[in-house]
Amino acid sequence: MQKHITQQNFNNLLDTLIKQGQRVVAPRMNAGTLLYEPLTDSKEMITDQLPKRSGKETFFPLCEDIMSYEKEGQKITLTDIDPTRFPETVLVGVRPCDAAAIPVLDAVFSWDYKDEFYLTRRKKTTVIGLACTKADDACFCTAVGLSPADSKGSDLFLTPVEGGGYVCETHSEKGEQLINSNKELFTEANGSKALPLAQPQTETFDLKKVKAWLDEHFEDPAWDSIATRCVGCGACAFVCPACHCFDIVDEGTEKSGKRRKNWDACGFWKFTHHASGHNPRDGQPKRYRNRIMHKFKYYDDKFGQTLCTGCGRCIRLCPVGIDIAQIVEDINKK
Amino acid sequence: MCNHTNKNIYLPYLATVEEIVDETPDVRTLRLVFNDEQLKENFSFRAGQFAEYSAFGAGESTFCIASSPTRKGYIECCFRSVGRVTEELRRLEVGDSIGIRGPYGNSFPIEQFYGKNLVFVAGGIALPPLRTLIWNCLDLRDKFGDITIVYGARTESDLVYKRELQEWQERGDVRLVKTVDPGGNGPEWDGQVGFVPTILEEAAPSAENTIALVCGPPIMIKFTLPVLEKLGFSDEQVYTTLENRMKCGLGKCGRCNVGNVYVCKDGPVFTAKQVKAMPMEF
Repeated sequence: MQKHITQQNFNNLLDTLIKQGQRVVAPRMNAGTLLYEPLTDSKEMITDQLPKRSGKETFFPLCEDIMSYEKEGQKITLTDIDPTRFPETVLVGVRPCDAAAIPVLDAVFSWDYKDEFYLTRRKKTTVIGLACTKADDACFCTAVGLSPADSKGSDLFLTPVEGGGYVCETHSEKGEQLINSNKELFTEANGSKALPLAQPQTETFDLKKVKAWLDEHFEDPAWDSIATRCVGCGACAFVCPACHCFDIVDEGTEKSGKRRKNWDACGFWKFTHHASGHNPRDGQPKRYRNRIMHKFKYYDDKFGQTLCTGCGRCIRLCPVGIDIAQIVEDINKK
Repeated sequence: MCNHTNKNIYLPYLATVEEIVDETPDVRTLRLVFNDEQLKENFSFRAGQFAEYSAFGAGESTFCIASSPTRKGYIECCFRSVGRVTEELRRLEVGDSIGIRGPYGNSFPIEQFYGKNLVFVAGGIALPPLRTLIWNCLDLRDKFGDITIVYGARTESDLVYKRELQEWQERGDVRLVKTVDPGGNGPEWDGQVGFVPTILEEAAPSAENTIALVCGPPIMIKFTLPVLEKLGFSDEQVYTTLENRMKCGLGKCGRCNVGNVYVCKDGPVFTAKQVKAMPMEF
């Protein structure tokens, strides 16, 4: 289904949803940082920049309680947290690179054991993607097979058009339902021309070729030159829309506290450190190798996709200037 | 068996410490009984599987289930106190509560071992992952041919399950070869003196119709595999269990992988053939 909506009507739609008690999450400024956060008013939404962190935390928060414990003498009481209690959510203004990462995360949290903390939020969330009209020099979605107009992961996908407003294309029942329940705000698509889309300045990677090189080069001198300077800060994983590694920790006292699932990063030395002192990844190049291997080989081996959507956040943020797009491009040329 | 009755896969079951055995000055066995009567009866697992054990307030630790699936009503774990969680687990007394999630991971394909001879080779704290299978096999003794156990540790005091070594030594249907590293033997030591791979080579079990099950520190594994090869074992005849730092145990948290192999889901039990195909990252 294809419809048109004006900017004013789109704002009205969000305000209506907010009034109905839905959680409406969109790029919003928080103390100078643009993040995907719940809105209290549609005016707070900012759509001309890529948020600092990705949209994944709508489903997979940075920290989340998974149970609590209380001790009294020898008796321990555990209190479960029911993952099904999460509110209905609309995630709005999601860039194609962030939206495309959602199906990538779905695969991890739904194969075999079901992580209902993630899956329930996912089930209860409608994703409204937004095409990009601007790219910076770190953007490389086109290099990994996506595009500024890719609707992967979106239930409803918006493309800004000349004369204002958006063309809305539905990609799931959830998307259709959203339009059908708010019919009066949409009109038939009037054939308006889409605004010129962003054009990331990158070469397209041959991901099969990259993987074939990784298949054969677990040991390679290149890893040292690629990652000797990595300081292991983990920032790349924290801003990545597709990274999903986490830690499980108890936070509290001996008497009472919470068990939480917190984001973690394979760049941290402690990530694989055994209690015995042994560490299978005992140097930063080995840890960075795992990052590249996981994104462009291991995840593909298991789920048949790449674990990178080319958002470029890790490039913009890396304190020592490691450029994943350049690394993969170099591998692509080998 | 799935360790959750509700939708939260991270929620442990509560169990009570029923018995504590100090194996060595810093290695301890806990015998644990599930608080839920039904679970106590029905908890089932296979030899080789592992669990996540909670010391609430400190976190979770990953160990194999060290008791045999043939012994119902309880499970046992065996651990060395080396970190925050294991120090807390060590502080538990009889009657205290512990959390358990599991069983997780694959297991030894014991049915495929029926009718075969078995050679267990273990070093130090790595006996518990094989001890579950040893008792499993001893409790089904008729189904197997000769059973040989080669077990060594640095010193006499580092040997775990000493009472059971005694029991195996006294049984007529097991050949126990125990050893300590040179210098690790006291005046009363009645076993061998030497490193496990050397002693295994001397013991020279036949490879014919035999499965070898090896678990130990990386250095022991490294020198044991060539000995087995020399004795005629193919890589498909040799099994081991790997361990890596884990958190979820469920194939989600992303840290226990060796290359593209996830120890928590694809393992922890692997054949030597599978291990040799992995990159050197363990």
